[in-house]
Amino acid sequence: MKEIVIHVNGESRRVAVAPNETLLDVLRGRLGIKTPKEGCGRGDCGACTVLLDGQVVRSCLILAIEVDGQSVTTLEGVGQDSPTALQKAFLANNSFQCGFCAPGVILSAAALLKDKPRPTEHEVREALAGNLCRCTGYESIVATVLAVSKQKAARKPAAPRKSVPRRSRS
Amino acid sequence: MSIACEFEYAKPSRLAEALRALGRRVPGGAVPLAGGTDLVAWLRDGVVAPGALIDLKGIDDLRGIRKKGNRLWIGACTPFAEIMESPLVRRAAPILVEAAGMVASVGVRNRATIGGNLCSAVPCCDSGPALLTYGATLHMATARGTKSIAAGRWFLGPRKTALGKGGILAGISIPMARHAGAFAKLKRYRGEDLAQASVAVRVDARHHWQVAYGSVAPTPIRGPRVERLLKGVKSPDAALLEKAAAVAEQEVAPITDIRGSAAYRRLMVGVMLKRAIRLAARRAAGRGPDYGLNILEEDLP
Amino acid sequence: MSATRIVGTSVVRVDGLAKVTGAAQYVDDIDFGPALLHAVVVASPHAHARIKKIRTSGAEKSPGVVRVVTGKDFPYTFGLYMQDRYIFAQDRVRFVGEQVAAVIAETPEAALRAAQLIRVDYEPLPAVLNLGDALKKDAVVLHPDLGSYQKVPWFFPRAGTNIAHWRKTRKGDVEQGFREADFILEDTYTVPRYAHCPIEPHAVTGLFDLSGRLTLWASSQSPFAQRNVMATALKPFGLTHRDIRILTPFVGGGFGGKAGVSMEIIAAVLAIAMKGRPVKLNWTREQEFMNTSQRQGVIARVKMGVKNSGQITALEHTLHWDAGASAEYGANVVNAVGLSATGPYRVPNVKIDSVCVYTNMPPCGAYRGFGYSEFHFGLESHMTRIARAIGLDPVEFRRINAIREGDTLAYGAHMNPGDLRGAIDRVSTEIRWGRKGKARTAGKAVGKGIACFWKAPAMPPNASSAAYLKFNEDGSLNLSVSGMEIGQGFMTVMAQVAAEVLTVPVEKIRVETPDTDRNPYEWQTVGSHVTWGCGNAVRSAAEEVKAKLLATVARAKRLKAADLYLDAECVKSRKDPKLSLPFRDFVIDGIMRPNGNFIGGPIHGTGLYMPEFTSALGDPETSQGGHPNVHYTVGCAGVEIEVDLETGKLRVRKAVLAVDAGKAINPELVKGQIVGGIVQGLATALYEDIRYSPEGRLLNPNFTDYKIPTALDCPAEIVPIILETAQPDGPFGARGVGEHTMVACAPMVADAIEDAVGIRLNTMPLTAEKIALALRGIDYDAVKGDQLGFCFRGRPCDYPFDVAGQ
Repeated sequence: MKEIVIHVNGESRRVAVAPNETLLDVLRGRLGIKTPKEGCGRGDCGACTVLLDGQVVRSCLILAIEVDGQSVTTLEGVGQDSPTALQKAFLANNSFQCGFCAPGVILSAAALLKDKPRPTEHEVREALAGNLCRCTGYESIVATVLAVSKQKAARKPAAPRKSVPRRSRS
Repeated sequence: MSIACEFEYAKPSRLAEALRALGRRVPGGAVPLAGGTDLVAWLRDGVVAPGALIDLKGIDDLRGIRKKGNRLWIGACTPFAEIMESPLVRRAAPILVEAAGMVASVGVRNRATIGGNLCSAVPCCDSGPALLTYGATLHMATARGTKSIAAGRWFLGPRKTALGKGGILAGISIPMARHAGAFAKLKRYRGEDLAQASVAVRVDARHHWQVAYGSVAPTPIRGPRVERLLKGVKSPDAALLEKAAAVAEQEVAPITDIRGSAAYRRLMVGVMLKRAIRLAARRAAGRGPDYGLNILEEDLP
Repeated sequence: MSATRIVGTSVVRVDGLAKVTGAAQYVDDIDFGPALLHAVVVASPHAHARIKKIRTSGAEKSPGVVRVVTGKDFPYTFGLYMQDRYIFAQDRVRFVGEQVAAVIAETPEAALRAAQLIRVDYEPLPAVLNLGDALKKDAVVLHPDLGSYQKVPWFFPRAGTNIAHWRKTRKGDVEQGFREADFILEDTYTVPRYAHCPIEPHAVTGLFDLSGRLTLWASSQSPFAQRNVMATALKPFGLTHRDIRILTPFVGGGFGGKAGVSMEIIAAVLAIAMKGRPVKLNWTREQEFMNTSQRQGVIARVKMGVKNSGQITALEHTLHWDAGASAEYGANVVNAVGLSATGPYRVPNVKIDSVCVYTNMPPCGAYRGFGYSEFHFGLESHMTRIARAIGLDPVEFRRINAIREGDTLAYGAHMNPGDLRGAIDRVSTEIRWGRKGKARTAGKAVGKGIACFWKAPAMPPNASSAAYLKFNEDGSLNLSVSGMEIGQGFMTVMAQVAAEVLTVPVEKIRVETPDTDRNPYEWQTVGSHVTWGCGNAVRSAAEEVKAKLLATVARAKRLKAADLYLDAECVKSRKDPKLSLPFRDFVIDGIMRPNGNFIGGPIHGTGLYMPEFTSALGDPETSQGGHPNVHYTVGCAGVEIEVDLETGKLRVRKAVLAVDAGKAINPELVKGQIVGGIVQGLATALYEDIRYSPEGRLLNPNFTDYKIPTALDCPAEIVPIILETAQPDGPFGARGVGEHTMVACAPMVADAIEDAVGIRLNTMPLTAEKIALALRGIDYDAVKGDQLGFCFRGRPCDYPFDVAGQ
C-alpha cells in the first residue's frame, strides 16, 4: 500500500492504495465519488470518464497510484455552486434519458469547449464518440453542445431552448 | 471491476533507474507501464500477471517531440493526442498524424502512447504501417546501452517485438524529407474500432512510393511488389491503380476472424490502396486536403 | 378531447437536474458500509455438459473468502411465465456462461482470486446448437421435465421435445386464400441474436437481515414481478412476498434486459446464504452479454398471396426461434409474434406458427420490440418485394392493405384506432418517395426504403398498475408508482398526468422510484405500456385527490362541490369569483371554520388500472376467442441511404418515422424515443454482429467487438413525426411508443439497399462486408467462417421448417 494524494475537484484527498486498484475503483469505493461509472472495464464505453489535469481519460484504465499528485475532475466538481451553461442547456433540452452516460458526456463536452470554443459538428461528434449512449441516439446531446458553443461565442446568456431543431446535413 | 493480480509499482525518474528496475528478478517479471490502455485491460482480464509495473511516465527523456539533426524524434511515451496536435509532426510525418487520429477515441488517445502501441505489437497496430513507410528507426535503451533497429525489423510476430527482455523503447526517429502520403483504416463503422485492415502510403520527391499494410498479416508489413510497380510514377492513372490493387491483394495474408473475413479484407486492401495513392498524389501536387481524414468514411473534397 | 395545459407540452424532465448534476443514484452508487461482502460467480465454459464434481476447498481457504456456494445449496428453479430456469446449474450446464458456483468474500479482489481456484469437472455432452437438429425426432432433449414445469395456461410446450411453446394462429382458410391469389411469393429470412447493451450492467445488492427479511437493491425494470418470481422460487426458504422487498433507484438503461429475473435471484440466494451482511453482485460487461438475456434469433418463412390489384389474400408465416437454454420469458416473445405476425395489415386468411425452441445458448427474453423487430424484417422485406413483383409501388401496396380501426385481427379481436395510412402518407412525403435521390459523389449509389410497423404490449391479461398521491404542506405532491424510469421519461409523463388534473406544476410533483414495500403495484415496465396503464392509474388517483380537494372545501365552507373547480393550485368557485383557497393552506392542516374546528386533514388518493377487457383464453389450435393484446400502436418509417459501391459502407442520409402516439403527453420525450429507437434499430441492421463459436461460446462479449452506435454513427438527418389518433382508454388518449421506433429499421434498410444497388439481403445484419462482397458476386456465407449469429447453420432456403411436425 502507498499513500497518495489526488486533488479531486479542488480538494486534496489522501488515500492509501494498492498498486492494482484502478482510479475508478478508488474514486468510487474509497473517496465516495460516484459519478464516474463502471460500464465495461475496458475503456470502450466512456462511462468512467474523468478529467486528469484537464484532459479526458478513462479512469478504468488508469491505476490510482499512477496519478499521485495530479488533479482529477469529475461531474461532482462541475457546476458546484450553480449548474454551468452546458448543464442548464442539457437540462432544458431533455438531452439525457437514463442519465448513466451523462457524467462522462458532460466532462467530454466541457473539455472540448474549453479546447475548441467553436467546434464544428464533426468535432463535437468526434469528441463524444468515446462516450457510448444507448438511449438517446445523440441528437439532442450534439445539438445542445453546438448551441451552447454558439451562445457563448455570441456572449448571450444561455437561453434554454425548448425544442431540438431539425438538423441540417453536415 | 477489480484486478485480481497483485504487483509492485515503481515510478523511476531516470532511464537508468528504470532499466535497473526492469532487470530485477521478481516473480512474474517486471514490465513497463506507459499509457496503460492495453496493459491495464490485460491485467484486468488476467491475460498478464507481472510481479512489478515500472511506470515510465516520470522519465522526461522518453517523452516529447523534437527535431534531432534532420530527423524527427518522438519519445516513446508520447501520447497519440500529442502526436496529432504537434505542428512538427504535421510537417515532418503527417501520415502519422492521420494514423494517430484514427486510434480509438479522445479519452484513449490522451493516454495511449506510440511506444505502448509499438510494444503491444498487435497485428492491427495503428502506428505500424505509417512508420514502416517512413523507414523509421526505433531506439531502445538496454542495460548494455542503446540499440537502434529499423521499423521493418521491429515486428517479429503477433505481440512479439525485437525489444529484448528488460529493454525499454525510448523513441522513434524519422528522417525528414519532402513527401506526401495517406493512411486508410477499415473499421466496422465510424465509431472507435480496431482496424479490420489498414494501408499507409508515402511518396517522396523522386516519386518513389512506400506502401505498408496493417491487420492483414501477423504483423504490419511493407508492400514491395506494389512499390516496384509504382516506382517513379508521379500520379498513377486508373489502369495502374487497378493493377496495384490487384497486386496488393496478393501481397497480404489476412485471416478470417470475428472482425472480418479474409475475402473482404483482401478486397478492401485494394480499395484502400487506390484511394490512398490518389490522395497522396494530390497532396504531393499541393492539391490535397489536410491530413487527419477518415478517407473511407468522409467525402474527399 | 378537450384542450390540455400540461399534457402535450415538452416540460423539462423531473429527473433532469439529478442527471445533469450527477445526483442521480444508481444501484452501485449506494454505500452499504463496512459489512458489505462481494460475490463473484463462476461460469460454465461448456454449452452442454454434465457437472461431475466441483472442488471448492481451494477457494474456501483463499484469504478473505467467507463462503463458497454451488447448485446443491440452491436446487431451485424460477421463471416469469414458466419455471424452467435454474438459480444455479444442478447436474448439468446448458449454456456457456451459466452460473455454476459463487464466491462471497470481503473484497472484490479476494472473491475474484478465489473464484479462479474453483475446479469443476465436466463431462461434455452433445450440444444443441442448430435449430434443425433441436427439432429432430432423435434430438438431445434439453429439458426432460418440460411436461411438469409450472407455467401460464396459455403456453403450449411439447413434453419430450425441445419445443418450449408453440403458438398457432389460424384465421380463415389459407389454402383457399392462396388459390385466390394472382401471385404468390415465398422466401426465408434470418435474424440473429442481439444484445441489449445498457450502459449500466446488471447490479444487485441483497441483504437478508437478522430478522429474516430479504431486501434487494436492484437495477431493474420490474421490482414487483421480480418479487413475485422470487417469492415462488424461494418458498423453500420460508419466504413469501411480505418477506421480500425490492428497491430500484435510477436505472442506467433497460431495453427489456432488466425485466423479469435473470441474475437478481443469484444475488438473492447469496444474501440468504450470508444472513446479516449485505452482499453485492455486479455483473461485468462480459457477464452482461453472456448471462442475462438476449434477443432471440429466428428463421422465418413468409409465404404471401396477393391479387394483381394489390390485396393480400393469404399469409403463411412460420417462425422457428432460438430461445436458448431457458424460455421462461422468451416463450412469451414467441407467443406475441404468433398472434401478430401479420404485421399491420388486413389479411383475411392467416396461418402463423411460432415455435419456441430450446438450445444450448444463453437464455433469451424481453428485448425492446419483443419479437416484432425480428418478424418485421422478413415480413416488411416481403411486402416490398411482392409489390414490386406485381408492378405496384410499395407505398401504394401498403396503403391498400393498411389495417384500420375495427378490422378483425388474426386472432379474432378488433383493431383499435390508429392512423396507419396517415403515417404512410407523412413518411412517403417527407422521404420524397418516388423521386430518386442523387449520389453526392461518384462511386456511390442512393436508395430509399420504407416499412410499416405495429406492436402491442405482450402482457398477461391481468397486468395492472396502481398509484398513490399525497400532498405535502407546501402544496407539492409525492406520486408513488412502481413503473420504472429507465430513461424513457416515465416519471415526467406521470407527473404531467397528475399536474393536468390537479393544476399543480410538474416541478412540484416528486415521483418516487419503486419500493415494493412503500409504492403500490406495477406489473412491469415493459411493453411500452406504462404511459397507458400506469398513466390511467395516476389519472385515477389524481381524480380522487381532486374530488377530495373539492369535497373538503365544500364541506368546510358549506358549498356545493359541483360549483367548485381547480385552477393554479387553488380551489375556486364558479359561483363566487372571490373564492380561492390555495392547496398549501389546507392539504395537510385542513380548513378552519369560524368556530375554530378544523375540517379535512391530509389529502391523498389512490388509483388503479386493470385492463378488464383482455383475456388469454384463445383456442390453442387457432388462437381465436381471446383478447390477448390491449391495443396496437402503428406507424411507418422510411430511409434514404447512400452506398459506397467499393466498400459496401452505407451512410444513412435521412431517416423518417411517423408513429401514432394517441396523445404525446410530452412531445419531446416521444421524439427522444423516435431518435433513440431509430439509432438502435439501424445499429441492428448495420453493424451489431453477435458471433458465437461453433461450440456455442460468445466470441464478442464486449464493446471492442460488439459495436453499438457512437455519436459518429447517426443518420445525417432524422425527422420524427407524431400522429395523434386518440386511444379511447388511454390517459388523455395516449398509447405507448417506446419499442415501436426500432421495429421498422432493418427492413427499410434492406429495401433501400436493393433500391440502391439491386441486391436483396434476407439475412441480418446487413453489414458493409456483406454488401461489398455481394456487389462482387461473392456469397458472404461462403467466406465468413464458422461463427454463428444464432443456432442456425447452412442456407436459409434449406431449412426444414416441417421438422417440427404439426
